[in-house]
Amino acid sequence: MLEVSDLSKRYGDVVALDGATFRAAPGRIVGFLGPNGAGKTTTMRAIFGLVSPDGGEVRWRGAPVGAEQRARFGYMPEERGLYPKMRVGEQLAFFAELSGLARDEARDAAGRWLDRLGLADRADARLEELSHGNQQRVQFAAALVHDPELAVLDEPFSGLDPLGVEALAALLRETAASGVAVVFSSHQLDLVEDVCQDVVIIDHGRIVLAGIVEDLKAAASRRSLQIGVNGEPWMAVLPSGTVTSRHNGQVRVLVDASTDLDQILASARKAGEVTRFSFEPPSLTDLFLEAVSEGRGA
Amino acid sequence: MSGVRRVWLVVRREWIQRVRSTAFRVSTVISAAIVVAIIAIPQIYGGGVEPPRVVGVVGESSPQLQAALRAAGESVTLSVETRAFEDEAAGRAALRTGDVNVLLVDQGALVWKAEVDDQLGAVVTAAVQAIDQQRAIDEIGLTPAEQQQLRPAPLSSRSLEPVTKERTARLALATIGLVLLLMFISFYGGFLLVGVIEEKSSRVVEVLLSRLRPTELLSGKIGGIGLVGLAQFALVAVAALIALVFADNPELPATTRGTIGWIVFWFVLGYAFYAVLYGAAGSLVSRQEDAQSMTFPITAVLIVAYIFALEAAQSPDSTMALIGSFVPPTAPLVMIVRIANGSVPWWQLGLSVVLMLATICGMVLLAGRIYAGAVLRTGRRVKLKEAWRGGELSG
Repeated sequence: MLEVSDLSKRYGDVVALDGATFRAAPGRIVGFLGPNGAGKTTTMRAIFGLVSPDGGEVRWRGAPVGAEQRARFGYMPEERGLYPKMRVGEQLAFFAELSGLARDEARDAAGRWLDRLGLADRADARLEELSHGNQQRVQFAAALVHDPELAVLDEPFSGLDPLGVEALAALLRETAASGVAVVFSSHQLDLVEDVCQDVVIIDHGRIVLAGIVEDLKAAASRRSLQIGVNGEPWMAVLPSGTVTSRHNGQVRVLVDASTDLDQILASARKAGEVTRFSFEPPSLTDLFLEAVSEGRGA
Repeated sequence: MSGVRRVWLVVRREWIQRVRSTAFRVSTVISAAIVVAIIAIPQIYGGGVEPPRVVGVVGESSPQLQAALRAAGESVTLSVETRAFEDEAAGRAALRTGDVNVLLVDQGALVWKAEVDDQLGAVVTAAVQAIDQQRAIDEIGLTPAEQQQLRPAPLSSRSLEPVTKERTARLALATIGLVLLLMFISFYGGFLLVGVIEEKSSRVVEVLLSRLRPTELLSGKIGGIGLVGLAQFALVAVAALIALVFADNPELPATTRGTIGWIVFWFVLGYAFYAVLYGAAGSLVSRQEDAQSMTFPITAVLIVAYIFALEAAQSPDSTMALIGSFVPPTAPLVMIVRIANGSVPWWQLGLSVVLMLATICGMVLLAGRIYAGAVLRTGRRVKLKEAWRGGELSG
């Protein structure tokens, strides 16, 4: 279990972290979400000792995190970086050795990862010779090549196309399934909706919402209602709530969970042909916006 | 895992990546070839033989002039030839083109192109005076005994310092050593600087620093690149030693081999001193374009040290050379000059090495802190003060 407690950090007048507290458990994928500048990267750097927090601490399995603990962590920074002119296989083995593996183990681990990524035949290619997508995969492998117990990935999905996102999501699920605690950050909430099991939402250096995604959705006070009607102007049928999108004759609105659906559906039918009618838990974006506005209002 | 092993892993990576490159192999072969050529060809080394001087002769001249000039020249190891011209205009033309070094008109006046060559002037004057004297003696009609009395007895002479040729050779050896040292320190310091910026600009540094300390990374890089430099330097030195065995060049002083060893030794200390500076400087910038501006101040110090050492080579026993051989920025260069010029007392060598090592240790701490405070800050150039403050905790 990773425990981040009450981290605080200031850069001059800028408050980067203001008492950030959350946990990450083995075998689970935690989405660490928030707008740009919310404090995600600072938190992750603090976990790896790249930033010295002004206050608070980070613990792993109950012990304060030091060099010994960090050797069992894997880190993929937001600003991707590997040696462009170094051979891929040697590069992975180098990082594995730096994390404490013996030379032979490191070579084996590098080979295994390249096999797994389908890059075994490119082991002797320089990193810069690989495609952008493959470089991203090698970067991911570099973070995990020493089989860490905790993987911290800063914005791993940024810059990936939908296929790349799906492939990386599958790798994250596999990794978590093998018992690794996975923490990844993102500011593209819709993109990672299906990837994270747990979510930690940070804004202005403070955690505004944290928990299991399904629980948070179920416990939310509002629901997402989507209606599409083909016919007369029908907007009058909408219940009170926050309209989040409106296009192609369809409207998405956040309504109270106790809204009477029968009544709305009946009046929609009177207005014309109903082409869409769905009532679902709110999305991560909805939860995020709500949590952030509450946090800022407070 | 121990810090030593992490440093070693960085050293090994630098070594493997750099030694494998074509640039390393090509530059090693070229440097070795140049040094071997310098040793094997006597004319290059030690300046060879002085070229003969040509005296243009115009108008009246005695038949004994050529022999007298030769004799006067020999006494100062200068070979002198003569060339006769029809008139003064032809002589002046040859003087202007440099075909003759001086023009002797009517065996009574010297005409120079511009600067007066005092040595040649003295030789010609002595020759002409000897001829005049002989003529006077003949006219007066002195007896052989009287003639003998008039001839001045030659003064005996001996040197306190080694003979000129040996000194020239030692000076040349010191100069070659200095140039090599300057080249290797600035090249390999530059490689280090570029390497540090490369890690920063490719952001790999953040991946590295999640696994090791900034000072471990910096030490590993300095050590790895230094080993590559040492290997290349040593290969060139070995090539030089082998060439020495085969060339059997009489111009070379007997102490050459020992001096080459000392040059390699001082390369290690000199590189370590300057590399720490280069490493810290590299951590302050994020783009290769800024490398130049960061190298400049360090290269300036190196060049000042080089000029200082060249001065010291002219007067190796001066107080200035003595002080310079103890002060770290100049010590590696000046010590080479002093060693090449003759024996340096052991206590002075020891003291200089101890001072150098102590300074390097201090610099590693200072530069390590700057490096730690700056290496994760990308974007604009980091100010020294910010880096110093930032490095307080993470060093």
